Amino acid sequence: MRLPELEAIQADINRIILGKERPVCLSLACLLACGHLLIEDLPGVGKTTLAHVLARVLGLNFQRIQFTSDMLPADILGVSIFDRDSGAFHFHPGPVFSQVVLADEINRATPKAQSALLEAMEERQVTAEGKTRALPEPFFVIATQNPTHQIGTFPLPESQLDRFLLKIELGYPDPAAERELLAGADRRQMVASLTPRITSQRLVQLQELARQVHASPALIDYVQALAAHTRTAARWQAGLSPRACLALLAVARAWALLDGRHHVLPEDVQAVLPGVISHRLRPTDDTARTDVEAVAAALIEAVPLP
Amino acid sequence: MLASLRHRLHEAFVRWALHVRPPEPAPIVLTQRRVYVLPTPAGLAYAMALGVILLGAMNYNLSLGHALVFLLAGLGIVAILHTFRNLVLVAIRPGRCEPVFAGSLAQFDVVLENRRPDARTCLRLFMADETPIEVDIGPHASTVATLDAPAHKRGWLPMPRLTIETTWPLGLVRAWSYAVPDLDCLIYPKPAAKAPPLPWSGESARGASRDGRGADDFSGLRNHQVADPPRHVAWKAVARQQDGPLLTKLFEGAAAQQLWLDWDALPDAIDTEQRLSILARWILDADAAGLAWGLRLPAVRLVPDNGPAQVSAGLRALALHDHGAH
Amino acid sequence: MARINRPVSRRQAWWLLATALAACLPLAPQVPPWLSVAAGMAFSWRAVLTWRQWRLPPRWLLVLLVIAGTAGVFLQYRTIVGRTPGIALLVVFLALKLLELRAARDAVATALLCYFLVLGQFLFTQTIPTALLACLTVLITTATLLAASDDRPQPQRQLRRAGLMLAQALPFMLLLFVLFPRVQGPLWGIPQDRFSAVSGLSDSMSPGSIAQLSQSDAIAFRVQFKGPLPPQSQLYWRGPVMPAFDGRSWRVAQTLGAYPEVPYTGLGAAVDYEVTLEPHGKFWLFALELPATLPPDSTLTNDYQPIARQVVRNRIRYAQRAWPEAIAGVNEAPSILRSALALPKDGNPRMRAIGAAWSAQYGTDGAAILAAAENLFSQQLLIYTLNPPLLGPDIVDEFLFDTKRGFCEHFAAAFVFALRAGGVPARVVAGYQGGEVNPVDGYLVVRQYDAHAWAEAWIAGRGWVRIDPTAISAPSRINSNFSAAVPAGEALPFLARGDLAWLKELRYRLDAVTNGWNQRVLGYNPQRQRDLLASLGLNEPDWRSMTAVLSVLCGGVMLGLTGWILRNRLRVDPALTAWRRFAVRLAKRGIAWQVWEGPLAFAERAARQAPAHAADIREIAALYARLRYGAAPQAADLTQLKTKIAAFNP
Repeated sequence: MRLPELEAIQADINRIILGKERPVCLSLACLLACGHLLIEDLPGVGKTTLAHVLARVLGLNFQRIQFTSDMLPADILGVSIFDRDSGAFHFHPGPVFSQVVLADEINRATPKAQSALLEAMEERQVTAEGKTRALPEPFFVIATQNPTHQIGTFPLPESQLDRFLLKIELGYPDPAAERELLAGADRRQMVASLTPRITSQRLVQLQELARQVHASPALIDYVQALAAHTRTAARWQAGLSPRACLALLAVARAWALLDGRHHVLPEDVQAVLPGVISHRLRPTDDTARTDVEAVAAALIEAVPLP
Repeated sequence: MLASLRHRLHEAFVRWALHVRPPEPAPIVLTQRRVYVLPTPAGLAYAMALGVILLGAMNYNLSLGHALVFLLAGLGIVAILHTFRNLVLVAIRPGRCEPVFAGSLAQFDVVLENRRPDARTCLRLFMADETPIEVDIGPHASTVATLDAPAHKRGWLPMPRLTIETTWPLGLVRAWSYAVPDLDCLIYPKPAAKAPPLPWSGESARGASRDGRGADDFSGLRNHQVADPPRHVAWKAVARQQDGPLLTKLFEGAAAQQLWLDWDALPDAIDTEQRLSILARWILDADAAGLAWGLRLPAVRLVPDNGPAQVSAGLRALALHDHGAH
Repeated sequence: MARINRPVSRRQAWWLLATALAACLPLAPQVPPWLSVAAGMAFSWRAVLTWRQWRLPPRWLLVLLVIAGTAGVFLQYRTIVGRTPGIALLVVFLALKLLELRAARDAVATALLCYFLVLGQFLFTQTIPTALLACLTVLITTATLLAASDDRPQPQRQLRRAGLMLAQALPFMLLLFVLFPRVQGPLWGIPQDRFSAVSGLSDSMSPGSIAQLSQSDAIAFRVQFKGPLPPQSQLYWRGPVMPAFDGRSWRVAQTLGAYPEVPYTGLGAAVDYEVTLEPHGKFWLFALELPATLPPDSTLTNDYQPIARQVVRNRIRYAQRAWPEAIAGVNEAPSILRSALALPKDGNPRMRAIGAAWSAQYGTDGAAILAAAENLFSQQLLIYTLNPPLLGPDIVDEFLFDTKRGFCEHFAAAFVFALRAGGVPARVVAGYQGGEVNPVDGYLVVRQYDAHAWAEAWIAGRGWVRIDPTAISAPSRINSNFSAAVPAGEALPFLARGDLAWLKELRYRLDAVTNGWNQRVLGYNPQRQRDLLASLGLNEPDWRSMTAVLSVLCGGVMLGLTGWILRNRLRVDPALTAWRRFAVRLAKRGIAWQVWEGPLAFAERAARQAPAHAADIREIAALYARLRYGAAPQAADLTQLKTKIAAFNP
């Protein structure tokens, strides 16, 4: 009993982002779980398009922030400008005041600018010049960062990374999908031609629905067992925090909803596990860090279902 | 002679008792087959005492004396069962193991899991001749036990054989088992007590800054501090921000000197281990001074950086020098 | 974390103190008072040390104290081997061991000492209260052993665990108690000192000796009759026979010839019964007159008294048969008759004169002299009393003609003297007369106050004839019981009084319990064991078959206990159980479920590998997933899952 609207949304996105069903589904799950998404990948694999499409089919407004090294918090949050006519300062909201925000190359900005965005993500409100302004609802940030230690980057500290619910990679499309992409119509035009499938109110409802997906005691045992394993096994430097467990459960719930179920299965947890742990869990053996899927698989296979 | 024979017999028994060639895959479950039970010296004394009481009871035809002996004998049997139960089906998983310097104690964490709804009490764990530690595991819980082993040589130190035993509840019977969890500790070379000062002015130091970029590359902004030169203030940024604090532009290569810790920089007379010791000392000193440093070994090269990750990478490279890839 | 090689903790010290106290207190009446006081002081000292956490006394002081204690025990008993000195030494060691508890090893040693002292209690008494007290001591000692391993739990939890373990040990105890091959002790040397101070008949009788016994309500023996209870007046329990008279005391014969079997034949109905004899430290066994059979390991003396080969140190039980109307000794040996006529050279001139007169009048007609003697006794109006006046050198004359007050020994002694003076062979027989039936268990209980003495005369043609001179003056002594015959106002043993019916009732019940305890628990000996095993179908049991049965049964109990102890009290989700069964079925097909694999993922994999059953597999997995992870699992789903899995056969 999958929800038809969610199926339609997935179909719309997959028509434009070719051969990326899984990342697309994960990003949608992240959105349904009210979290923010971090995409680590090379430029040009469709990160921006994904953000665009998501905003479009969900009927959300969209802003893109290109992060640079001389960026200031005000560039993100907005500034008050003196209005000569009224004789008072007037707040001009920054790009963060939109429902879907694409923060491109977030690790290019200085920690100061980064933390302005990350705090806004966490608080879902902006405090500037002594006044607190709520951000729109729903509020979804897709941040991208470059994979390697490139020149002039400020890698996000681990504590900040935790604010992203999921971290995914898009990767190159497979040859067939790439061929279709090359042969097909212009992606921009296709995006523009999309019509919203649901309203933002409905999206909020769906988020509530995802929160209510049942997690049985057996499943919670499983999540606990996974966390306990990461905390004690030699393979990882530091275990999953309780917040990470909550994140895992939240994404697994949304994933179950996307699959049309009202209860979470271990499969849901396992499916979203790589995205949840890849930026939270560091293997002790540095060489293993590269392959997120393999790391998650090792964790899954080490923990029996309770 | 006798002692060595005893030792050899014991080792042979342990090899047989382990069943699996170590290290064993996790989790190691102490099944019935690998838990052994024998009386303790106290248990032998108890048995002897029972024998004497039985003789007394027979000699004096004491029915209650017989009853007493038989009750206590039953108690002994029950103690065997309780002690066995206290240990059997404990699951052992390797835990963490932080790298240490040679000469100190390697600390192996093992996770003991109790999958039963009642607690396990007074389990003793020890490796070889080390002091045992005693742990309890609550119902459906797990406990981390940290075991020490002396780290003598740099490189990987596999966890020695672990003996886990218990004499709870009466101390008359000892149940024990062996396990070799798959856990290795990385042993860094021991930092030299006396080392030459940090090699500041090597041929590689000046000029070649990080990543080979020019010294005036803009790299970011930070809050202005009084000591910053005025020409580095980001006036444009200040103008854009209302009442914002002054910001200072940062430039790559501002820290002009680069520190290379070089294997070849040390005199030839120094042997490998001593060389590694000195390099370890240098890494620690450089880190304490907050410097960025690079490391050159015959097979490894680390670009200059600072921070804990760099330190652990550097020390790891030293530890595994000539040990092949691991 | 490390709690190894630790010294004895405070809590453990309190436990050890408690267990030492529990082991020593019941022994306090048995050890010399100075030792009780000294042990009490040692305990208090230890308590203060523990409480204030002061240092233990130096070792040299303890060594000195041990030497002093041993010397004290030696001075007290002039030996240090044997029962009481041994116990006293153990108490000394225990008290001083408490003062040098340093490591956990000392704690175990102390606990073992306490177990020994429990055995020590049994050397003195084995009554039910002792057993209960011993249980308490064992419980506390076991809890102390527990505390020596792990002193953290609260005392009540330690006690509960100790109780649980002892309860689990109970089946072993019962099996071993019943089936462990028993050996009749003693194994080495005769323990001389056991039951050194028990009351009972002695091998001599002088005025006042039986009257003294009548102040005791201790049980002499119990009797269970196979048939109906014979009349009270027939209940003469024959004890030591005393033909020798030295002018004051009657004694048993110095040299006793013995019959290998009963030298007479019975007349009339036989009485079958079983005696449970309390230990009395003498050789003789009591039997209803006249014994028709001999208890095992005994002989019959030539004055018809069963004698055990060994001193009766334990409660023993023997089946017996009696011929109340047997005729014995018609052809008695002349030597025995001679000894039954012997009188001291002088003394008691009045009685001698009367005897000489009878002899002159009736010649050798024993029956006539007997009748004359009975006549004399009834004419004298003798008074049966517990408090006879003291007698001078001529005890028979003074009793018969002056004081006229006496207890049964006076009567019997005077009567036998009278007959001998008249030329009729006669002898004193000591023993018990009567007894009291406990209505609760039907046993006849014979107590020390039932001790009695009577006369036996030899009449030509009739053999030995019993005459009870007491019955001439106080017939109620024989026909009802001892208390009825004693004049009102004289001090009687507590249990012999007739008033206080409810007390009597209570006493009957208590006595029945005690008797049951004695018969079944304390009296469980090799013979009983053989009988029991034979009744269980194990004929001719030897130690091998007994050991085999014992091992099998103990093994069974052990298996049961192991199962109980290792039981997994985890409540397993029934859906999970069903799922595992399903996984096993698939595993037989080579499709193994990985323990980390989710149900639907596994189902997909399995369906690919076994396409023929794909639908079934998917359905089962979906059901299971819903049951285990769904919001509200339905009972109907579980039933369906179980039936599906039961029907599933890949």
